Amino acid sequence: MAMVSGRRVLADRTRGGNAVRYDSITEAIGNTPLVRIDPAVHGLEHIDLYAKLELFNPFGSVKDRAAWNMARPHLAAAVEHGSTVVELSSGNTAKALAVLAGMHGLRFKSVTNRMRVPEIKDLLLLLGAEIEELPGQSECLDPAATDDPLTLFHRTLSEPGGDYLHTDQYFNPHNVEAHLTGTGPEIVKDLDGRAPDWFVAGVGTAGSSTGIARALRETDPAVRVLGLVAAKSDFIPGIRTIDEVHEVGLFDPGTYDAIEAVSADEAIEGMLTLNRRCGILAGPTGGAAYQGAVRRLGALDAELTERQSAVFVVCDRVESYIGYVRERRPDLFGRPPRRNSPADLSDAEVRAAPAIGVADAQAWIATGRPLVVDLRSTFAYAALHIDGSVNIVDEVFEELLRGGLPFSRSRPVLLACPVGEKSARYAALLTRMGHPEVRSLTGGIVAWRDAGAPLVRD
Amino acid sequence: MGEEPLYLEPRLEEPLRSLLESPGLLHTLTNALGSPLNVLLPDRIAANVERFRSVYRAHHLSGQVWFAHKASGSRALLRRLAATDAGVDVASLTELQHALGAGFTPDRIVATGPKNPPFLWLAARTSVTVAVDSRAELEHLVSLVRGHALSRARILLRLSGFESTGVRVLSRRSRFGSPVANVGPLLDEVERYGDAVELVGVAYHLDTTGLDEKAVALEGCLRVLEECRGRGLRPAAVDVGGGFGVSYVDEREQWERYTTALTDAVLGTRPPLTWGGHGYGLRNEGGTLRGTLGLYPAHRPVAGAGYLDELLSRPAASFGGRPLAALLLEHLYDLHAEPGRALVDQCGVTVAKVLEVRADDAGAQLLVRLAAKADDVALEDHGVLVDPVVVPRDPAGGRAGDGPVAVHLAGSLCLETDLITRRTVFLPRRPEPGDLLAFANTAGYCMDFRATRAQQQPAARKVAAWQEGGSWQWCLDDEYWPTVPVGGTQ
Repeated sequence: MAMVSGRRVLADRTRGGNAVRYDSITEAIGNTPLVRIDPAVHGLEHIDLYAKLELFNPFGSVKDRAAWNMARPHLAAAVEHGSTVVELSSGNTAKALAVLAGMHGLRFKSVTNRMRVPEIKDLLLLLGAEIEELPGQSECLDPAATDDPLTLFHRTLSEPGGDYLHTDQYFNPHNVEAHLTGTGPEIVKDLDGRAPDWFVAGVGTAGSSTGIARALRETDPAVRVLGLVAAKSDFIPGIRTIDEVHEVGLFDPGTYDAIEAVSADEAIEGMLTLNRRCGILAGPTGGAAYQGAVRRLGALDAELTERQSAVFVVCDRVESYIGYVRERRPDLFGRPPRRNSPADLSDAEVRAAPAIGVADAQAWIATGRPLVVDLRSTFAYAALHIDGSVNIVDEVFEELLRGGLPFSRSRPVLLACPVGEKSARYAALLTRMGHPEVRSLTGGIVAWRDAGAPLVRD
Repeated sequence: MGEEPLYLEPRLEEPLRSLLESPGLLHTLTNALGSPLNVLLPDRIAANVERFRSVYRAHHLSGQVWFAHKASGSRALLRRLAATDAGVDVASLTELQHALGAGFTPDRIVATGPKNPPFLWLAARTSVTVAVDSRAELEHLVSLVRGHALSRARILLRLSGFESTGVRVLSRRSRFGSPVANVGPLLDEVERYGDAVELVGVAYHLDTTGLDEKAVALEGCLRVLEECRGRGLRPAAVDVGGGFGVSYVDEREQWERYTTALTDAVLGTRPPLTWGGHGYGLRNEGGTLRGTLGLYPAHRPVAGAGYLDELLSRPAASFGGRPLAALLLEHLYDLHAEPGRALVDQCGVTVAKVLEVRADDAGAQLLVRLAAKADDVALEDHGVLVDPVVVPRDPAGGRAGDGPVAVHLAGSLCLETDLITRRTVFLPRRPEPGDLLAFANTAGYCMDFRATRAQQQPAARKVAAWQEGGSWQWCLDDEYWPTVPVGGTQ
């Protein structure tokens, strides 16, 4: 629900589709759609399964609500003092706070030891956030040491001269409140004033699951709540493991009728179902909620005689997790084979690649004037190289070759890499592509140096 | 025992596994030499060197593997290492003497850590490479070289305080090394003292398990080396220190089940798992878990040589995302690594005799008193939780009805706190007086690093053991030389 000039205006996308005009993007937070999942997809016969699409929030996730609700009361004072907004967050809360801080001319710093999704890091930097990663555990452990990174973090916040607005999402009751007064009642309204029989959510800060569960139980105390955590050795962005949830101040085991673990594989599987079959571009956390819900409800479905309903939360969108998914499911990113790739050379071809030793190469350079191509990185080339050589970094060279031979056939070529391995591959490839006089420097630049041959720095 | 036992079974590889399956030998040795007793397996250190070498080979890197001597004072391990092609990193005068005496030539020794004048002099006198900790130490070394007319000293500059770009990677503050931010004036001095010192490279050593922090440091070292080359200096190597880690517990599931149970015990949702409800750094504040688990990650999927491999495979952001190994190779730098704990992985065991087994008042848990002090088995001191292996006195004597038991392990000092571990240890069967408990994998830091002679109790003796022609041979640690095993004379 948004406030426009003191009037309450429903951003009611789910029904009328009326255009809604806002004065600030923050008014677009909340009032997200509740979408029924096609029973042909989930296969539950007696249960209507709904997804609460928090990915519709303007900064992209369910955390927009909590971030705004936690920061809003303190923003005026923070602007006055020029405070820095600070939060322990590895993802969506940081994203929302970075935007909110930027809108108010404040700096935002995210402190984390859990940021394992590279795209999110880059996005935060792009939004102007500062990121600090906490140090890893000491290798020569002193069990008596008390300076754990989080203690140090809290000490920094209370240091004199430091002016921080710490939103404290794991302990701040405003986190829960955002969902108690927003997300939860929205679900009840969209279900025509009734609470669902089941509510399923991943447990991260426990803010959304606690707030929504409380709101739903105010309508109907019989609502059953399933909390999902990550399997202990697994990593699902935005969800804690069973041990880690105990570190969360907002976490109360009494909120949940059951807590179950989901694996990263299941989360990705659920995500794919939502993405490909439901048109819902959910990220892995939403996928975990879907998969956890179907797993649990599927076991009950057969015994039901009357219709029931269930709601799960889709926290955010898929786009930020491409790297995460690629690492775990490279099969999803199958690409067509490329032309002229060094990868499709046979071992025999590589072994047969024309090569030349350091002493002969020196003589050849003096008499045959081959083009000397150094395949190392620009930094290494800049430091030391064979006089007169050209630097084409191997990655660039591979791209070049895809289009065909980049040298005239009449120009002899000597390829050099660190130890003569990559250059042998490319010599074989160029030979296959029809170049008549290409050679690989045997032993590479290392052998060249070891033989005492000159290397220069321009 | 009413509850499911929570085992933390040790990872046992050869030849340690075979040794623990030889109860006769272990009992003979402890009967003769007393309890506790440290048994070293020198051949394994050579195998560990080879594992590190294979990572070097996979990345085509040259350079040295230096054993951080401080991890173990064993003569047998050092002498066996001297027979390989590895080097040694010494951190005291005595360690340097030990290394020279064990057969390491000066080109295979690097002197690190805080140094006193005799240590620095002997290092310079014997032309050992010196990892210089600070400007003051550099000046001290220069004055020794000049004052005693020694030959030019080969030095590594130990650096610290590396900064990352983009994301700020925080690191614990180190007492050691020169801040990389002030490397310019330090290099000015190196150039000015060119008559007395020769810069062979730069070094870092970070006390962390975090790969990102180490990658930032390695990248920072590459930038400093470029600055050196720009000045006309000829550095050839980066020393990435150690801290590659060891996996003590064999199964990930056991470690996960145990740490979850410990969390539950601290929160009061299950019975305590420790003596006096100790939380290993965790505490319960109003139902929320606070504090940090002060334990070594006892099961590590990636440790030792594998950890070095991961570090080398990391991309370096300021060098266009090339992997660190490729950059080292392309820039023609040698890689130096200084594993301590990881190089003596599986190289030893501490055995202690069971003196007494007593039921507590409730009868639920047993108190097992050992002929060893807590400091003789310093696993707990290093935050390592792992089960001992029971080596029965009478292997044939079947006690069929016996099931798993929960015990507390007490040391031999007249001191309430002398507990081998504060953890409730689950053993597959009840130990009896005269049995031995074997604490596997103690060679790195957990044998002699902290052992005392408190109450005038003797420190553990050390023996070296090896297999020859299918049977075990042994000698006192002091008596071991690479020529002692029959194979070694060839």
